[in-house]
Amino acid sequence: MTLAERTNVWEREDLLTGCQAVSHAVRLADVDVIAAYPIRPYTEVMDQLSKIIADGQLDAEYIVADSEHSQFEIVKHASAVGARAFAGSSGTGWCYGFEALVVTATDRLPVLFLVGNRALDDPGAFGVEHNDALAVRDMGWLICWVSTAQEALEHVLLGYRIAEDPRVRMPMALAMDGAFLTHSQHVVKIPSPEAVRRFLPPYDLGDRRLHPDNPISIAPQVNEDWVIEMRRQNWEAARRARGVIADAYREFNAVFGERYEAPYYFKEFMTDDAECVLVGLGTVAMPGRTAVRRLREQGHKVGYVELKWFRPFPTEELRASLGRFKAVGVIDRDFNHGSPDDGGTVFHEVRSCLYPLRDRPRVVDFIVGLGGRDISIADCVQMFELTERSEDGSVAWLGLRE
Amino acid sequence: MIKRVEVNYRGIFQKTLGKRIGGDVVLIASRMGRVGFSNGRYSDSPERNGIPCKYFAFVSHDLSEEELEAECGAKLDIDEADVSVVVDDTMVKGVEPWGWHGIRPINEKVVAGGALLVVSRKPHGELLKFIGRKPYPYRLATIAGDASLAGLWVFKDDLTHERVLGGIAALDPGVVDLDAVVAYLEEKTGDPRRAEAARQAYDEVKANTSVVLPDQGVDWPHETPVLPKWFEFAEGAAVPAVPRGFQLGPRGQSRNPRFKRGTTKSERPVVRFDLCTKCTLCWQECPDQCFDPTPDGLYDVNYEYCVGCGKCAEVCPVKECIVMVDELRFDDDASPWERYSRDKLGYLEWAESKKGTDRVVHPHVTGTGRAVLEGERIPVGKVIPARRKQEVTAR
Repeated sequence: MTLAERTNVWEREDLLTGCQAVSHAVRLADVDVIAAYPIRPYTEVMDQLSKIIADGQLDAEYIVADSEHSQFEIVKHASAVGARAFAGSSGTGWCYGFEALVVTATDRLPVLFLVGNRALDDPGAFGVEHNDALAVRDMGWLICWVSTAQEALEHVLLGYRIAEDPRVRMPMALAMDGAFLTHSQHVVKIPSPEAVRRFLPPYDLGDRRLHPDNPISIAPQVNEDWVIEMRRQNWEAARRARGVIADAYREFNAVFGERYEAPYYFKEFMTDDAECVLVGLGTVAMPGRTAVRRLREQGHKVGYVELKWFRPFPTEELRASLGRFKAVGVIDRDFNHGSPDDGGTVFHEVRSCLYPLRDRPRVVDFIVGLGGRDISIADCVQMFELTERSEDGSVAWLGLRE
Repeated sequence: MIKRVEVNYRGIFQKTLGKRIGGDVVLIASRMGRVGFSNGRYSDSPERNGIPCKYFAFVSHDLSEEELEAECGAKLDIDEADVSVVVDDTMVKGVEPWGWHGIRPINEKVVAGGALLVVSRKPHGELLKFIGRKPYPYRLATIAGDASLAGLWVFKDDLTHERVLGGIAALDPGVVDLDAVVAYLEEKTGDPRRAEAARQAYDEVKANTSVVLPDQGVDWPHETPVLPKWFEFAEGAAVPAVPRGFQLGPRGQSRNPRFKRGTTKSERPVVRFDLCTKCTLCWQECPDQCFDPTPDGLYDVNYEYCVGCGKCAEVCPVKECIVMVDELRFDDDASPWERYSRDKLGYLEWAESKKGTDRVVHPHVTGTGRAVLEGERIPVGKVIPARRKQEVTAR
């Protein structure tokens, strides 16, 4: 009998949107400081959190900032003085605070941010695209995509635990697809505060905590005499994070029951004897896996790999996994104009990851679902068909009017 | 098998209502051992007053939640609906959330044998004067009631929510059945009146359901725009704008021909031109520039663009000169000033017949939030009757 079965780790079920599920997780993580600034689809998180605080369910400072830049600076500073902090944004709002996002990583402050993925306007659009979260991929961030409201709730808890680990101390971007996850109401299991406390220790910045009794100064002028060494520290932390992530999932399973399977960074579906797989981030996993089930009924050896962790990139594990297949189709809900082969960002990373293999699978790319255009089961079936017969490095746009 | 329910609601005023109906359908279905989830049509921007929007609930008896989501949740709009709910009957005139959608029939998604459930006090024949023809039979049902209109983030708790749940159970127990609706409401609210409201609505809908045959309804007068291919429009997100232009008279101002927003309104302003003092306030205050100055110093209304916000009626200083009237009493958007110019007494008679004597006011957005006052018929040629202060604030 597992600990989860012996103890009541789930308090209740409720019908929640992805945003509401995140808000409940922030409550359960007993966050100290929340900074908010509205932008769809993230806004519903701040709405719900203000209600949770007003209802007396969470004791936290809730600051509505004058812009995303201020919003992100507020939580960065709060984190430096030892407060567990939460913020979030979407699309161009996220980019507006970019300078603050960069320094939060450089200062190694483990704030958790919800990125409700949104197209980067202009033109005005609020549907999902992944370019917003991907914009921080080079900056020393943890970046993870979830595909259900239940996972979103659980990954806030996982995220704080991983980000705050003394071996990591990096900010975490928890990304979820605007509309399809942020605004869809699902029945979600909410854990008890006791169970969360067993899993998530209090935030402790140790001797890096900014406090009058601990006189330190963070991020002074250093120039070329220090910067490359400092970058090396960040580089090592990102490398160490891979091990910490796997540990955190194992500990999560120990408390909450067997929720996640190794290798944790991604989730494979019907890949055991597969020859052709699709790889994607976020909610496209639902039509993707459904397409797999249908194609399997017709005898096709296909599978789906839902990539969750993009930073740190699970190099070894993904290389070992995807190296078994003949062809890999990458679903990019992002754009990377003028890049090698004119492919999307995820495509480049996956292909680069497979490069050292002697017998590499063919890797093809699909630019789909931009601006929130839907990706149907039929679209995924078509992507499998194209992956099976396309040349390595080919890039196709699907679902656009042409 | 998948059951799809859509709730057509008006932005801001009914946003919470739509979401609660969708959410409760899922919670009730899950108590019945079914799988479900609910979402809104994300592109709607329901923060726009009165804009036609949709909320959805999906229920399945045999699919996993993931497969149900793959079929329904990965899509922005619904392909077909087993039950289309309409919580403001003026939406039967058509719905246009964005200009490029075009004005769509309210029953567009209803499947053969499916149901259109309208909260309305109108007889079915009256509603079918506006609803588009379908190539197959479907059912039309009504729950007698007024459109439940509340404010932003305000839920007007007037039992519309419970009654619609009862109505859905009456029309398609494959979504939820009455016993489950009643048990859920009793348990969740502890208030037997709520369950009773659902039960009564169930009986009411059973009694007020008619089959609509393919020859019933209108030939839909609006075209659905065909959107250009990626290489067929200007680069850099540059789109045609409204050319400058103004001349006196009806339709004299340049307006955006691609998005008129007229399907946003539940009521329209009816003007007694004979009482008008030419004070200009309606023209100045209209947030959508719907009033056209005419050569005789009056102000025509362009109903294609009017969103029914009521600002003109609110600022008009003359009693009974501009009155907001139920949109379903009108079957065209013709210029009222032209009608008046052709036949003054005939127009005034027509206008008063449309106004009737009921004057609906929304003194506050919560609670009942709706009052019907007695209007006054001002005789032609009487001295201009200014509104008293109380009459102004009552609105």
